[in-house]
Amino acid sequence: MLTRRHLLSHAAALAGASALPSLAAPLAGGDYRALVCVFLYGGNDGNNMVIPMDASGYAAYARARGTAGAGGLTLPQSSLAPLNGGGVGLHPALTPLADVWNQGHLAVQANVGPLVKPLTKAEFNAANALVPSNLFSHDDQQNQWQRGQSFGGNAATSPTGWGGRIADLQPAGVVPMALSVSGNNVFMNGMAAQGLAVGTGNGFAIRGFGGNPSTNPLYALYQSLLQQPYANAEEHAAASVLKQAISASNALNAALTSGGSVAGLFNGLNSGIAQQLLTVAKLIEARASLGVTRQLFFVSMGGFDTHNDQLNQQNQLFSELGPALKAFYDATQQLGVAQAVTTFTASDFARTLQPASGGGSDHAWGNHHFVLGGAVKGGLYGRMPQLVLGGPDDMSEEGRWLPTTSVDQMSATLASWFGVGAADLNTVFPHLSNFAVKNLRYFG
Amino acid sequence: MKHSRLCLLVAACLSGTALAADPTQPAAKMAESDARRLLGQASFGPTDASVAELMSLGREAWLASQFARSDSDFSGVPYVNPNAAEGCPAGSRPTCRRDNYTLFPVQVQFFANAINQPDQLRQRTALALSEILVVSGNVIKLPNAMANYQRIFLRHSFGNFRDVLREVTLSPAMGRYLNMANNDKPNPAKGIQPNENYAREVLQLFTIGLWQLNPDGSQKLDGQGQPIPSYDQDTVEGFAHAFTGWTYAPRPGATRNRFGNPSYYDAPMIAFEDHHDTGSKKLLNGVVLPGGQSARADLEAALDNIFNHPNVGPFIGRQLIQQLVTANPSPAYVERVTQAFNAKPRGDMKAVLRAILTDTEALNPAQPSRFGKLREPIVQLTHLLRALGGSSDGVWLRAQAAALGQPVYSPATVFNFFPPDYDLPDNPSLDGPAFGVFNASAAFKLSGVLATALNGKGVAADPSVPGAIGTHIDLSRWQALAATPATLVAQINRLLFAGRASAALQAALLKAAQIAPANKPLERAKAALFLAAMSPEYLVEN
Repeated sequence: MLTRRHLLSHAAALAGASALPSLAAPLAGGDYRALVCVFLYGGNDGNNMVIPMDASGYAAYARARGTAGAGGLTLPQSSLAPLNGGGVGLHPALTPLADVWNQGHLAVQANVGPLVKPLTKAEFNAANALVPSNLFSHDDQQNQWQRGQSFGGNAATSPTGWGGRIADLQPAGVVPMALSVSGNNVFMNGMAAQGLAVGTGNGFAIRGFGGNPSTNPLYALYQSLLQQPYANAEEHAAASVLKQAISASNALNAALTSGGSVAGLFNGLNSGIAQQLLTVAKLIEARASLGVTRQLFFVSMGGFDTHNDQLNQQNQLFSELGPALKAFYDATQQLGVAQAVTTFTASDFARTLQPASGGGSDHAWGNHHFVLGGAVKGGLYGRMPQLVLGGPDDMSEEGRWLPTTSVDQMSATLASWFGVGAADLNTVFPHLSNFAVKNLRYFG
Repeated sequence: MKHSRLCLLVAACLSGTALAADPTQPAAKMAESDARRLLGQASFGPTDASVAELMSLGREAWLASQFARSDSDFSGVPYVNPNAAEGCPAGSRPTCRRDNYTLFPVQVQFFANAINQPDQLRQRTALALSEILVVSGNVIKLPNAMANYQRIFLRHSFGNFRDVLREVTLSPAMGRYLNMANNDKPNPAKGIQPNENYAREVLQLFTIGLWQLNPDGSQKLDGQGQPIPSYDQDTVEGFAHAFTGWTYAPRPGATRNRFGNPSYYDAPMIAFEDHHDTGSKKLLNGVVLPGGQSARADLEAALDNIFNHPNVGPFIGRQLIQQLVTANPSPAYVERVTQAFNAKPRGDMKAVLRAILTDTEALNPAQPSRFGKLREPIVQLTHLLRALGGSSDGVWLRAQAAALGQPVYSPATVFNFFPPDYDLPDNPSLDGPAFGVFNASAAFKLSGVLATALNGKGVAADPSVPGAIGTHIDLSRWQALAATPATLVAQINRLLFAGRASAALQAALLKAAQIAPANKPLERAKAALFLAAMSPEYLVEN
């Protein structure tokens, strides 16, 4: 495996002593942009998130999904929230997102998943097909989404995520470009840039050194201890996490302890995802004091691995997700940054169209996802798969869709809007060159 | 010191103020520093008493004595009516739900046992296994269900891995968690397939992993230099079919016993043959189970097929090394542990643990720069408490470990609190599993937790918990030592760092011990102890 240090030294050798290539100049019309990744851990069942509304499409769906109450997973057509003009409907608990659709700012990306290069079913079935490794494995597929690199075989897996590689393009500030409100993740790890994990609660500062650490002699001793060279790799890593945390804490603590002018939009939304998105909104509101013009955020929900009791479980999860995404979208409008903030969903994989014993479904591949924000041109992007078990879009017999859009195409479209120039896109997404279409035009 | 019934049971609570056995005693079979290191790896942290015991017994005899111990259990978690509204009707005491319908009592006892009970290696091994063969309190919320599941690991920590595998597979907690309970044979009329959840994860996470492995843990490569998958989707479906037909045992007093029994966690699952798929099933290594076998015969054959796969030794062995000793064992170390796993009888946990804990690399790392590991939050806390002679009922430790990202027995997913191959943040060519829950937010929380633990006052007993004693580290002995800062630092070095603190750290501790004036010895002791506990050299064990 290549190490981040190795890659860094390689990059430095290529660039001589000069700085890493910088972000494209801020685009006309705004000097601030943010991308918000909403990761749905466990493998969200997109087949019950976006459902065809035309008669034959819905009939195919209902035929394969089986009868609810008899171990099947079909949602009644009348319960769905129609996306007018899109030919599809949303799970009823996602009805708040239909408002965003009606405002023209919700994109639905159909059947997107990890791919090394475009793949037909015939190619998939041929020997030695270049297929992403470890399909259906949770952590591998999460990593492929977050890394923006899907490898077959023994190709060196990258330790970095595509968010981190974007952050690598510009010099690191005191507050990193990438901030997670839900713990550690691969998405925000760059070769040099490290994301930072904040919490949703108040207080983001080291404790135990008295109220004012800068004048505390014990704190000064601690700072000098962290500056020791640490030949042991694990000690070195622990010290580096602590140093980065402390250096960013002053600026972030003020932002995180503020009430935020948009908190009222989240009233009554007590879910973890709503509180995480409220925290993101606070950090966006504090962007000037943080000294940042580009921000990457990572929030997440767990529980989408619905092998059983899926109808209840997914309904509960979407009942948290839908209102939270809507409140956050409204918050960006109230803050006057709707045009500058784009939110997107990601997840391990889709789930089998065919139900599994216990009223759930198993691990699959191509999935449907959302991209929303004031700059997004709403609509259905890509092609819905034919919902037929063993049909032309199924790489198995149970309804596992062969993706017709790659994660890299989706992510590169977002990165391009974020300001990554064409030349850097191929560095950030090394497989993008395998795809003819590099930009899916979510932003017109 | 307040003695409770809980504490009176425990020798460690009574050992009081003696710092340790004299390392120059001729009876010692082991240097004190070596003993403290081994007790960092094989226990929840050295106490003065356990150090003295290990030094007098020596490594092999101590292991033998640990193999014979079996003290820890979970008490007070009987079967309850699974319906909380009926089990805790209106008017019940306010803690009824917490004590009967959440993992609270099991998690508290885990910490009380870890701090106080002498079967340290059994408990430590059981925790390690619980982080490999994961069931989470996210789904399994009944304390008796989780207690019964964790007892599998306490029971077989020194037994055979094949027995662990059978008991886990038939455990109703696992059956519920990964949906093997009530996993029905295919139903073509309804278009429903057997559930693949347990079949996939037992292969990927509990036994063999995704790639075929050499005995040293490295990936096997084919003629083109490519790694070789351990199994494919057809194999997952084969195991999913082999595992059909099992349901919960009937609840006490149940009038019906049939496939689809409601959840019951106090007995292994049972099979109904008319819900077991009778076709043939593709397993690992080209083995095909013949059709027509019983559910039990298919299950045992399927588990034998997994257990005898050559990956199990290196896959499980490397993770146990990571849990106990070092995040980045050398291939040769892994191979030696694999040999112990593969020796007759295959899967003998005593042989595996002896190989891990007495390996030359554990005793004397060839590459100190990559040896060791960030302590996981649970062990961070227990090590501090035990090393400093603290006392705890487990209540506060339970909550703090959870705040630091490690609610014991309740990780977010079956992938544990962190994956074994989590990249070290600033050097991803190395693994740092516990770094998966270590970040800015967690580090700041840790600073608050350690400041509280070392404030000299401790944490009062929670009055809602019967028999609670709180959590205390008595600093009076440290206060006395503070009169001579050099002695204070030497004792901190000895107890927290096994005498191996760097010169720079010792110098910093000496300065810290002299910030407060000499007439404030408690402040001096607290400053030095807090700086020590927050130092990278203490957060990482090596």
